[in-house]
Amino acid sequence: MHPILEAQQFQTRRQFFHGAGLKVGGMALTGLMGSQRASADDVVHPPLPGLPHFPPKATRLIYLHMNGAPSQLDLFDHKPGLQEQFDKDLPESVRNNQRITTMTSGQARLPVAPSMFKFKQCGEGGIWMSELVPHMHEIADEIAMIKTVHTDAINHDPACTFVMTGSEVPGKPSLGSWLSYGLGSESNDLPAFVVFTPVFPKESQAQALFTRMWSSGFLPSKYDGVALRGTGDPVLYVRNPPGVLRSDRRAMLDALGELNQRNFERLGDPETLTRISQYEMAFRMQASVPELTDLSGESKETLDMYGENVQTPGTYASSAILARRLIERGVRVVQVLHRGWDQHNRLPKLMKGQCDDVDQPTAALLKDLKQRGLLEDTLVVFGGEFGRTVYSQGTLKKDNYGRDHHPRNFCMWMAGGGIKSGITHGETDDFSYNIAENPVHLNDLNATILHCLGINDRRFTYPFQGLEQRLTGVEETHMVKEILA
Amino acid sequence: MTTRQNILTVVLLKLTLSTPLSAADDQVQFNRDVRPILSDHCFACHGFDQKKREADLRLDVAEGAYADLDGRRAVVPGKPAESELWRRVISDDPDEVMPPEDFGKPLSIEQKAILRRWIEQGAEYQQHWSFIVPEKPAVPEIDAATNPIDAFLQKRLHTEGLAASELADKATLIRRVTLDLTGLPPTIAEVDSFVADESPDAYGKLVERLQERVTYGEHMARYWLDLARYADTHGLHLDNERSMWPYRDWVVRAINDNLPFDDFTRWQLAGDLLEEPTRAQLVASGFNRCNVSTSEGGSIADEWIYRYAVDRTTTAIEVWMGLTGGCAVCHDHKFDPLSTRDYYSMYAFFHSAADPAMDGNRIDTPPILKLTRPEDDQRLKELGQKIAAVESRITELVAAYEYTDPTTQSPQPSEQTIETVWFEDGFPAGARPEATGAPLKIVSKPDGQVFSGNSAISRTAPNAIGQDFYHGGAEFTVPKNARLFAWCYLDPNDRPDTIMLQFHVGGWNRRAVWGNADRIPWGKPDTPEKLHMGDLPAAGKWVRLEIDPAKLNLKPGTKIGGYAFTQFGGTVNWDRLGVVTTTNPTTDPAWSFAVWKQQNQGKRNNALPEGLRQLVRGKKADQWTPKEADQVFRFWLMTFYGGLREEIGLLEAEKSPFDREKTDIEKAAPITMVMADLPKARESFVMLRGAYNRPGDKVTRGVPAFLPPLAAKPADRYYNRLDLANWLVSGQHPLTARVTVNRIWQQFFGTGLVKTSWDLGSQGEPPSHPELLDWLATQFVDDGWDMKKFVRRIVTSHAYRQSSRVTPELLERDPENRLLAHGPRYRLDAEVLRDQALFVSGLLVPTVGGKGVKPYQPPNIWEPVGFGSSNTRYYKQDSGDALYRRSLYTFLKRTAPPPFMASFDAPNREQSCARRGRSNTPLQALQLMNDIQHVEAAREFASRILKEGGETADERIRWGWCVVTSRQPDTKELAVVARTLERYRDRYAADGEAATQLIAYGESQADPELTPSELAAYTLVANMLLNLDEAVSRN
Repeated sequence: MHPILEAQQFQTRRQFFHGAGLKVGGMALTGLMGSQRASADDVVHPPLPGLPHFPPKATRLIYLHMNGAPSQLDLFDHKPGLQEQFDKDLPESVRNNQRITTMTSGQARLPVAPSMFKFKQCGEGGIWMSELVPHMHEIADEIAMIKTVHTDAINHDPACTFVMTGSEVPGKPSLGSWLSYGLGSESNDLPAFVVFTPVFPKESQAQALFTRMWSSGFLPSKYDGVALRGTGDPVLYVRNPPGVLRSDRRAMLDALGELNQRNFERLGDPETLTRISQYEMAFRMQASVPELTDLSGESKETLDMYGENVQTPGTYASSAILARRLIERGVRVVQVLHRGWDQHNRLPKLMKGQCDDVDQPTAALLKDLKQRGLLEDTLVVFGGEFGRTVYSQGTLKKDNYGRDHHPRNFCMWMAGGGIKSGITHGETDDFSYNIAENPVHLNDLNATILHCLGINDRRFTYPFQGLEQRLTGVEETHMVKEILA
Repeated sequence: MTTRQNILTVVLLKLTLSTPLSAADDQVQFNRDVRPILSDHCFACHGFDQKKREADLRLDVAEGAYADLDGRRAVVPGKPAESELWRRVISDDPDEVMPPEDFGKPLSIEQKAILRRWIEQGAEYQQHWSFIVPEKPAVPEIDAATNPIDAFLQKRLHTEGLAASELADKATLIRRVTLDLTGLPPTIAEVDSFVADESPDAYGKLVERLQERVTYGEHMARYWLDLARYADTHGLHLDNERSMWPYRDWVVRAINDNLPFDDFTRWQLAGDLLEEPTRAQLVASGFNRCNVSTSEGGSIADEWIYRYAVDRTTTAIEVWMGLTGGCAVCHDHKFDPLSTRDYYSMYAFFHSAADPAMDGNRIDTPPILKLTRPEDDQRLKELGQKIAAVESRITELVAAYEYTDPTTQSPQPSEQTIETVWFEDGFPAGARPEATGAPLKIVSKPDGQVFSGNSAISRTAPNAIGQDFYHGGAEFTVPKNARLFAWCYLDPNDRPDTIMLQFHVGGWNRRAVWGNADRIPWGKPDTPEKLHMGDLPAAGKWVRLEIDPAKLNLKPGTKIGGYAFTQFGGTVNWDRLGVVTTTNPTTDPAWSFAVWKQQNQGKRNNALPEGLRQLVRGKKADQWTPKEADQVFRFWLMTFYGGLREEIGLLEAEKSPFDREKTDIEKAAPITMVMADLPKARESFVMLRGAYNRPGDKVTRGVPAFLPPLAAKPADRYYNRLDLANWLVSGQHPLTARVTVNRIWQQFFGTGLVKTSWDLGSQGEPPSHPELLDWLATQFVDDGWDMKKFVRRIVTSHAYRQSSRVTPELLERDPENRLLAHGPRYRLDAEVLRDQALFVSGLLVPTVGGKGVKPYQPPNIWEPVGFGSSNTRYYKQDSGDALYRRSLYTFLKRTAPPPFMASFDAPNREQSCARRGRSNTPLQALQLMNDIQHVEAAREFASRILKEGGETADERIRWGWCVVTSRQPDTKELAVVARTLERYRDRYAADGEAATQLIAYGESQADPELTPSELAAYTLVANMLLNLDEAVSRN
């Protein structure tokens, strides 16, 4: 770790425990229940000194990652002119000899596949959306659509690693880890960075996820994202073993606290005090996690809004409402990684299944946040790791086609704190094959995300392997000012 | 004191620590004092990387700093006032000040003062410390210090007005050193005997004993495996299983055998290039195969060949040279003099590796080594000879055969009836015969009934189904106008109820039955699934059974992939199964080569071996050279020609058991991936900006110019990895020994003498004790790179053995304990925590080595991330012993590592890791309290407490406490535990159900002799003991 920052954090922690050391016994009685946000002088996940760099517009991030690369051509990048191009070869002038994957580079032709879905302009800003996402039509006035995101990698593994860590090579910290490292968290009894990997339609073509997409890389591992799971314990090992009650655990922690305190007196190691407090936090999590996942206090209207799957643990809908509940409780970053978006063939049918899974809950999440006044300072991001080709992979019919990987342009949208709403940014050519204006590299997008959260990406670094490492890489970044409120 | 003041104090203190001796010594030293400032604040724009260099000024070398640039000189030795650098550094003008404000790294007052003093004192440059070959410094004379380590450390402590702490008590010490050397705690008996042993060399003997244990290598290997990025899956995309564990076991053995570090290096970097490499040396070369690899569809091969070479190069540079080569992949290193050309010259050593760009998602991505046992090797040799003998008979037969194509015969032959035999004397070559009931029995004349050839199958199946069959490995096509036939002999004294012939077409679904069809439990009666053919044939003589293929729904052209001889009850002999057809040889490709050629040319025929397949597909028959044509013809004769089928079939039947045995031996042999180079080296280039598709200047294999040169190149070959390895361990390399001793130091003290153990370059921290580091490095080489001896040197030092007790004052002075005024104390590693719990519970299964095991893991760790068709998508937990092996042997899936590893800072092995973090989180607490593995271990530990700990609660608590901490509890500790125990006893006495639930957790059974409520109460106490800060730390 950076020696100076480490020293500072060390001090902060010691400061905390100078006070807290006295409370160890008393902790048993205070602050156990409930999940109130931490008060200013009692912070488990403190921010780095000097952060945020400037007053942030958003203090929390919900990142909805559609893993596998959803087709921009069938969701948001409306190209009416393509209907006339059906089954015609993609003009060489458009392809311009750009690399394509070896899955289609052997194909005899690259025939154009227009989207079979109807599009309409939604909201006052007239953002184009297809019939696949009817619920998102209703939130068009909350979001900024970016049509010109582009990335470097052309295959899933490197591209997923890139979109989440800013590097194709494994080993770098994820966006959420960077944020929890820099900004800490306001919750004392939940992790700072929570991840969901919901189930997805069975027949979908799912690409793998990798824990590196939410891992802390070279940052200390306490900044790892914590998976909130749909099966088994929602947080690993959060449940007591069978036959052990909460009161049994409390009794053990009381004794353990005393014994550890005694050990601290003998050896003087401040880590011992940290350990005492981490065991107490673990105990609080044993209450706060079940409280978090218990939806019985949600109104029927709210639950209905998220759709019928909301009560089924492990679904996207359930993840969406829990995302809201988490940020309500002061968690810094929530990431939902929904799989199954890799439609090399049978795209129309499979996309429908995918959209059925995410459309309604995503729209509900935005509405829900807005109703509660949380959207103002919560940033929401929606997108995949790259886009898909205008030409068909394999069979091409009007109502059946597939699309290969396309890193040169794809759509993502952002909403909430710091973001202008109801606007569309950037334009692609008539084939959604090249960017016509306002390109946004993923590094630029990440710089923009950091900016909304009060961080200057150039100054947010960590020394590793001889380099001042950044989420956004060594090259200059260009914030997407046009979408900032 | 406010927080801010607090922070300032620490920051200032830090500066003192990272600039050793500066308080006592007014002379500024470039490497110690100045370089870190220039490196951090100036080199990014005025350093080695010429592309990023501003104003043509470079400050990393004296010539650059002193140079006259348009009348101005950045540094004029002795004259700060004339030095542009000084003027800029103190400037108030935002346009002039250096570093510029937007660089975001202003200089502190202290740093400016150092720069000024440096210029005043003559602005002398030194090469970066770690690039200068170390010379062995004299050991300071310190009375109390017998170990040179202590002499260096105490001299420094003395300068700082501090002193080392007293020795840790013996109980603490034996736990510390046993954990550090074996990864397991000592037993009570070991503690007692050590504490009682008052001989002066008691500790030395203990260390030697520990180093002799096999657990020593198991524990020490872990650190190396982090560096080697060892894991059990490929790491990218599907993340399928790979077989690499023999390499892991080799590391354990090499460390236990105390293989000197120079050979340890040579074998791993270049074991394959040693003269007549041993098997161990080849296995060791797998170091370079531990990198992640992909087989993702759509990937571009060049990109991955490039990436693998970069990974190998960067890893080697980091592991042996402690430099961060990764930067130079894209641009000249900004801070160290490592140019991209240097980098790619080293990359050229690794760029010709023979492994493919796509790993094929295979467990055995080539090149591999099959680790047969010595007795297997002997047998394989014999089998090879036997197989070759039969094959040569086949070849001779084919060579001698005089063939006349029926189409050229005059008069042309007319239609004829031809028998093609599928079974004669044995199952076809390549097939794996299986049996229901007793094993396959082949009888020969005169001992048994045989219809034709030399032998027949004979089976007795008393009142049950009996079968001989195969499927897969050999395939037959149903011809036109064919009838299937087989010969059977029913024993007149032991008649069966039923006999049946079955054919495999995608499944066992074609059955012809004679006799009582009800005895056959499969298939729908009166369909091809179970067609009744009639009564049993006569017994006591050979009878030919015939079947019309159409009735079994076997159309011409259908591929039959297996057949079965089945009976219910009785004794039946089977012989000669085949197909009889009426054919016209002049139009049948099985009889006329001309027809076969006509039909197959230009097409892909998968029955042909690879070379011939391409030939037949790629060229028309009339374009084949005579040699090619003859090859195809001989192959046709041997494989397809009907006229030789029977004779060759007999020979193949003779060969097939040898083939089978060979395959079985080879299949059972562990596989490990090894390193090899392509026969012809790839050309290597500087890759512009690190892009795989933008080659720049061509490079040849070489090493950076700022380091000593490679040994003279042999006349007859290029430099190779072995030359690189020899260069690293020549003893003249300034980095290798320093990097290595520093890393081992870090292992025992928590922090290296150079804290950035992965970076000894100019961006790394300078050593806290430079002379000690150089002494250790040079001594390590003088000792013949003896790793065990080096470890002994460390653990016998006073510094290592002293108490870890720390006072608030000392904590304030030296929060990271870099001066080692007290002993190191830190949380145990992931593996050690789990192994310790297994060890004290008595559950640990100490088996050494072997394939990775799958212990307890919560549901849904692999599944939510796994690729649909990955073979590591579903975690199938092992049971029994495999649950309780040492953590070293846990199967490591890189994209979803085991939670017990991940939550305790174990790296996921995607890339080399020189130092693990040591976090302290609530998730760790939850795991140690609630993980089934830990709860089960607590229960078994509780059983031991009850059975071995004595009679009273007091005795038992003392015993349990002592097992975990190696020391006796004091009265207060005892009281706290006793109170808790009482509470749990009441609780579980009152709630028997809860007690039963708790003690039933885990796969192993609780001791039924123990009272459940007692055992449950002690289980929670044991759980608590294993969660003590003292238990999870090494004190």
